[in-house]
Amino acid sequence: MLIAIFTILFLGGSSTGLLEYIGETEDTIKIVMEKDDRRQGALGTVKAMQIRTKARNKQVKNARKEFSKTLANHEVTMADIDAVWDIYFVEVEDYNSDMLELRFELRNRVTREEWQKMFSADQSE
Amino acid sequence: MSERFRIGRILFACVCFAFLASACAGKDDVTPVEVEKQAFEDLREQIRDTIENPAREAEAIKLVTALESDLEALRESVAERKSRARELNANYDTPREDFDAFLEIQIEEIKANRERVSRTRQALVATVTSEEYDAIEKARTKAMSAAIASIQSI
Repeated sequence: MLIAIFTILFLGGSSTGLLEYIGETEDTIKIVMEKDDRRQGALGTVKAMQIRTKARNKQVKNARKEFSKTLANHEVTMADIDAVWDIYFVEVEDYNSDMLELRFELRNRVTREEWQKMFSADQSE
Repeated sequence: MSERFRIGRILFACVCFAFLASACAGKDDVTPVEVEKQAFEDLREQIRDTIENPAREAEAIKLVTALESDLEALRESVAERKSRARELNANYDTPREDFDAFLEIQIEEIKANRERVSRTRQALVATVTSEEYDAIEKARTKAMSAAIASIQSI
């Protein structure tokens, strides 16, 4: 159990991605947008988000395995842990940056009204 | 026996069955937080069983209790992080700089978290021997196994 605790704390949570849920808006887009090229473009962006998230999930799975293996060793040094963490951290940054790019790409394909309909549940009062 | 009386008895039996079924279902409903609490109790118990030196035992228990607090804090922080991200995204006019600033804060938070966990782990490995570490890690109660699954999904 100790290893599971240390691993999740080192990872900073099982999912450090913050915008992956946007990739799940495919059905909403189909309802909110007219069936035209603009909608096709929006769906393409969402698909790209899904592909990126799938790749990211694989990275997280591998990072978790790597942390578990490293932390199982009582004698492991901080340098060994840092080496695993540094790779993981670059991946977190890259993923968030890519997803942000795609978020703005999607936003530019969608009108204000459509966006409000798509994310109405998340809007603050 | 009249037809009305027979139907009444059947209905009464159905109500009793539904009541018992719901009572039984509720009895075993345990939240992940309760499971984790029990798992940490079991972990502390395992430390008491494994480490014979009282000073080291107390130190290891203190460190595991700190980890328990860290997990609670992480769970809250992840929930806040996700909620804020949704709020920013929902606003059509949120500028890129606001997202960048938000992600920067998350990065700093994750780094600070890592430093704290590193210190706790270093202190723990300095407190327990390699054999004790293995024995504590390998211990599994029902609550511990369930807690591992819920911890991994934070």
